[in-house]
Amino acid sequence: MNRRRFPWLSYLVVVTGAVLTVVPFLDMVMTSFKGPGESGTLPYRFLPQAFDLSNYRAAFHQLDLPVLFRNSVVATALITGSVLLTSSLAGYALAKLRFPGRNFIFRLVLSTMMFPPFLFFIPHFLILVHWPLAGGNDLFGRGGAGLTVSIAALAMPFLVNGFGIFLTRQFMVAIPDEVLEAARIDGAGEFAVWWRIVVPQTKPVLVTLGLLTFVDAWNEYIWALLVSTANPDVMTLPVGIQLLQDHVDPARTMPIVMAGLVLSILPVLVLFLLLQKYYIRGVMLSGLK
Amino acid sequence: MVNSLVPEATGQAHGPRPAGPATSTAPARPAVGGRVRSRRRQAAVAYLFLAPTLLFFAVFLILPLGFALLLSMSHWAGFALGDIRPVGLDNFTGLFADGSTFLAPILTNTLLFALGTVALALAGSVLVATCIDNLRFQGVWRTLYFLPIVTTVVAVGNVWKYMYEPGGLANGVLNALGLDSVAFLTDPDTALPSVVVVQAWASVGSAILILTAGLKSVPESYYEAAALDGAGPVTVFWKITLPLLRPSLLFVTVTQFLTGLQSFALIIVMTKGGPGDATNVAALEMYRQAFSYGDWGTASAAAFVLFVVVLMVTLVQLWIFRRKGEDA
Repeated sequence: MNRRRFPWLSYLVVVTGAVLTVVPFLDMVMTSFKGPGESGTLPYRFLPQAFDLSNYRAAFHQLDLPVLFRNSVVATALITGSVLLTSSLAGYALAKLRFPGRNFIFRLVLSTMMFPPFLFFIPHFLILVHWPLAGGNDLFGRGGAGLTVSIAALAMPFLVNGFGIFLTRQFMVAIPDEVLEAARIDGAGEFAVWWRIVVPQTKPVLVTLGLLTFVDAWNEYIWALLVSTANPDVMTLPVGIQLLQDHVDPARTMPIVMAGLVLSILPVLVLFLLLQKYYIRGVMLSGLK
Repeated sequence: MVNSLVPEATGQAHGPRPAGPATSTAPARPAVGGRVRSRRRQAAVAYLFLAPTLLFFAVFLILPLGFALLLSMSHWAGFALGDIRPVGLDNFTGLFADGSTFLAPILTNTLLFALGTVALALAGSVLVATCIDNLRFQGVWRTLYFLPIVTTVVAVGNVWKYMYEPGGLANGVLNALGLDSVAFLTDPDTALPSVVVVQAWASVGSAILILTAGLKSVPESYYEAAALDGAGPVTVFWKITLPLLRPSLLFVTVTQFLTGLQSFALIIVMTKGGPGDATNVAALEMYRQAFSYGDWGTASAAAFVLFVVVLMVTLVQLWIFRRKGEDA
């Protein structure tokens, strides 16, 4: 343990950095408890004079939090569920089944990860607007608002994830063929093999993928902003809070905004703290977040 | 970005191909009757399993790419599909015409933003990761540094925006130290650096994680040998830690640079590109052209220009990693 010399120097650096990381969060929480006229005034005060809960009540009313929460939950659930299902289905086919075109499809999956998301905002939005036979559109996608009227629009572009397929495939490759073959000889169809053997064996990677997807979907901002600009009924938490910030006098409503932010990051924070082992492994596997 | 994983993965994908009814290339499997039929059934099942994915790729990947390319060479300012008018490369030449703000300050800002965040995040994460490696309770520290990553950009942006205000935490600290207040986000000179700090703050956690994985692979014996030679911590850091960390550093640098080139959500939340164009970046300009001005053509052209920049960085990255692979 000779490398552990001068630990005080390391402590100094790590603690300073940790303070810089955590202080903005503490400032958010403290501000959310500040009373009227207590924030944005000089001189700056970190602690609230009295822990005032009224901001949380105000956030509930001004933001229509239950609706925002519902939209965020539905979109996140749709995305997470679909990514897990399609990734494990496609991952199984690519890892364990033999069929013409397999290498081509696998390369296609890999190549999807090379395209930056900003390239798709415009075409995805226009495709949803012109979706045939939805939201008053005719068969050729004319006349109505298309799928932008639906809460599903929040989830549509994220339902399949190339990285998710790649990740599950890599883990499914490691399952011995003999196990699957034995099940087939016992009369199990491919669907049963997938559901009874492959999915249980790859549970840890599915938890990792589910968690990564959940956090991304819950925090998604730009796409949700686009969709809810077209249809305010499907506004999500981040969009709603940002809207409040933009349209009301920030000095007065800052504590309410902060209260909304605290409520919006709580679900992810709790989930992350409970399952961080899986999340961190996912970030190391994907290399970038 | 998983690019570095890709070569290994494609290697594994070269499984035995089905070669018609001949079974000599098939892997060792118990000989069961009706193999041809089972092969065909397996192919059908495989496509059934892949159907949702392939359908999705057709509608949300291939169709949009073609659509975006078409739009980038058209003039279209509405929603009626019949109004699309082809204009060749006009949108692209417009972006680079005299008096256009796209090259400067917007593309310049994009590069400065990416370079700035990489430099700050890299310096911070190297320092913290090597120090955490010396401490106990490493998991606890890493979790702390990780908090910004799982937080929505709206929260990160708003908290920092609030901290940058005249009555906010940042100026509170400056004033307590006897310094004058700074108009962080409203002064064109300080706005871009102020946003860069936030982006770097938000991305340090994942860099620490990747660097930690790199540090764990440095053999303990190197440090023991250095200690026997009487090397101080600074020498150890420069002569042992940094050189052996090079692959992880390279990876963090390139991936964070790519992320930086594409970021704009944080800027929308904090400054909306202002004051003036002081914090405007390419992806934000694309977004504004499309969804504020309804100019799909110019917006798509801007997206493709940025895509080419991102593609070039990606290719350089692949080239670097492949060359390194051959050296090893």
